[in-house]
Amino acid sequence: MSYFSVEPDGSSKNKILISSILFMGLGHLLFLKQYVKGIFFGVIEIVFLIFSPQIYLKLVDLVTLGTPHPELPIKERDHSMFMMIDGVVIIAVIFVFILLYVFSIKSAQSDYKEFCILGKLPRAGSLLSELGNKAFPVTGLVPMILLVLFFVIVPLVFSALVAFTNYSAPKNIPPNNTVDWVGLDNFRALFGGDATWTSALGRVAAWTLIWATLATVTCYAGGMLMAVILQESKIKIKPFFRSIFILPYAVPSVVSMLIWRNLLNGSFGTVNRTLIAFGLIDKTTVIPWLSDPTLAKVMAVLINLWAGFPYFMLLTMGTMTSISREQYEAADMDGASKYKAFRHITLPQVLYQTTPLIIMSFTHNINNFGAIFFLTAGDPVMADSTITSARGTDIMVTWIYKLTITLMKYNYASVLAVCIFVILAPFAIWNFRRTQSFKEGTL
Amino acid sequence: MTAQSINSEKKNQGGRIISRINTAIVLIFLTIVTIAVLYPLVYLVSAAFSPGNAVSSLNLIPFGDGFTLKHYQRLFTQTNYLLWFKNTLIIACGTSISTIAVCAIAAYVFSRFRFPFKKGLMLSLLVLQIFPSFVGMVAIYVILLRIGGLDTLWGMILIYTSGNIPYNTWLVKSYMDSIPRSLDEAARIDGASNARAYFQIILPLAKPIIVFLAITSFTGPWMEYIFSKMILRSNSNQTLALGLFSFVTDKKNEFTTFCAGALLVAIPFVFFFIISQNILVTSLSAGALKE
Repeated sequence: MSYFSVEPDGSSKNKILISSILFMGLGHLLFLKQYVKGIFFGVIEIVFLIFSPQIYLKLVDLVTLGTPHPELPIKERDHSMFMMIDGVVIIAVIFVFILLYVFSIKSAQSDYKEFCILGKLPRAGSLLSELGNKAFPVTGLVPMILLVLFFVIVPLVFSALVAFTNYSAPKNIPPNNTVDWVGLDNFRALFGGDATWTSALGRVAAWTLIWATLATVTCYAGGMLMAVILQESKIKIKPFFRSIFILPYAVPSVVSMLIWRNLLNGSFGTVNRTLIAFGLIDKTTVIPWLSDPTLAKVMAVLINLWAGFPYFMLLTMGTMTSISREQYEAADMDGASKYKAFRHITLPQVLYQTTPLIIMSFTHNINNFGAIFFLTAGDPVMADSTITSARGTDIMVTWIYKLTITLMKYNYASVLAVCIFVILAPFAIWNFRRTQSFKEGTL
Repeated sequence: MTAQSINSEKKNQGGRIISRINTAIVLIFLTIVTIAVLYPLVYLVSAAFSPGNAVSSLNLIPFGDGFTLKHYQRLFTQTNYLLWFKNTLIIACGTSISTIAVCAIAAYVFSRFRFPFKKGLMLSLLVLQIFPSFVGMVAIYVILLRIGGLDTLWGMILIYTSGNIPYNTWLVKSYMDSIPRSLDEAARIDGASNARAYFQIILPLAKPIIVFLAITSFTGPWMEYIFSKMILRSNSNQTLALGLFSFVTDKKNEFTTFCAGALLVAIPFVFFFIISQNILVTSLSAGALKE
């Protein structure tokens, strides 16, 4: 019996494990005689090995971010940002390779196990039927993982890394100049090192939290109020009102924000001109709806209520219909008033069932770019706005956008992104632990 | 008549009056909210058909300046409105189809199979969905540059689809969890492959959530501005958001033309939302109930 034959009694377990670890697909080729699979895995490792010098160089580039060559023409100078992104992409590729490696070893082991049970080598089906059946979980996940890895994770890792560099205008913008790692300098500057930036960050962060809380609470309360009124009242034209109330949800919010922005314009907006026409205000004392820092904030919350309550109204209506009628009938028999029934039956159940969505809505509002950017564009201008580009109603994400697009201070923008992550990640994880599937341990 | 019955008679009358007053208050309140809701929308419609150009010249009484179609004439003859519409439609359809294709199959795997790293993958998807995609826009720009996806419609579809995956995979997975496992297990015992069980058993049963996903991923790209602005440069690749916003920049204030174009986008949306509001009510709350 040659060394390369395998026994169905489990004694060849180590042979297969060791050969699979030595080289991807070797176990499949030598022992299990699964040539298609073996060659597939083998080719992947060979390609990886062929490119390993380049991979190594890319990793070196990621560490050095290039060296300045002022003597060269701009085109030939080291481009730090390309190096950084390539480096992150390469790390992602290495990560995929390691996953594949682990997967190939596991696959060889499980195929051998099957062989031990069946007593014959698993007939290697055609590649296509294999992908549709046993390898289906892999086939199903690969597109998702690749897209998320290269278009979501790599960009986010990149922007997190930028927080530790000096990538900013005017001095460190590739390709003219290189960018260097600066450790925690940006964090120090924004958290106390630079008075102007620190105060701007404090102001924007505080407003972001206030904004997200108010926006969520007002929309939720407003939506629930409308749902309860529509559900409980005995008005016959209920569907008519409901159809009207979902209009703000139906119209693209960018459009409605731009309309509001124009209607609320201080000097020529319709709102002020109407008030003047009614003689309520004077031409010289128009109300600065969007140009007074405090009033602009109030308006942002109110307009967001206008746009956001229909979502929660529909949500609450859906949840309310799932509460059994019997509970209300029992309450009615016990002589409870409608208010009491609402307070003790409807409210707790709706609240309980919609908690994850309240949390989600809060995180959504922290990042609600459109509601601020298209309504106020962050205006009005504040004392430090020329330096920091942060204006009166800017929230973190709109500030990130301005730092990136107008000031090109990518490093500070990235610090803000990291801050958002630190604030929001616990909420996401809390939501995750609360899900049914997590609690039941079926994950 | 006993004193008691007189009393209850009075009570009844009082109750009726109170309930009438209540209905009146509710009606007044609903009317006020209706006015607030309709206020900007009425101006949107009236501006689209009013002769002036800027907000400042807009009549305070809706439709007070008369009625004209000249903005539509301008949109269709002097601008590339139809081209913008076509590009946006391609992006929206592409995004919708690829989001369903990628998310539904991944959700099925998450819902039905056990495999290493599953918990980690699910959690990372959940953490990733809290970020707006444009936080990584510099990197996305460079990656698209490298693969030749700048200034192309498929580049936009790729970005939108990737951005949709984290949240929607969770959404569809929660829905599929509620489909009894016995159904696809029975199919597997009868010899159906995993792929067959997915396409012939699970996918048809998951139709409501797939429809919901199709709608939300289709409507998303219509007014997306940030990525379109960054990635689509050439005139032949402009989208509706880019085209319409060019009417209301700081330099140009053609508010009424903007309204005319926006109205044309909003009408099908509104129409669609109103006829499908019952589906929306159940789908939205389904997300909450199934968590």
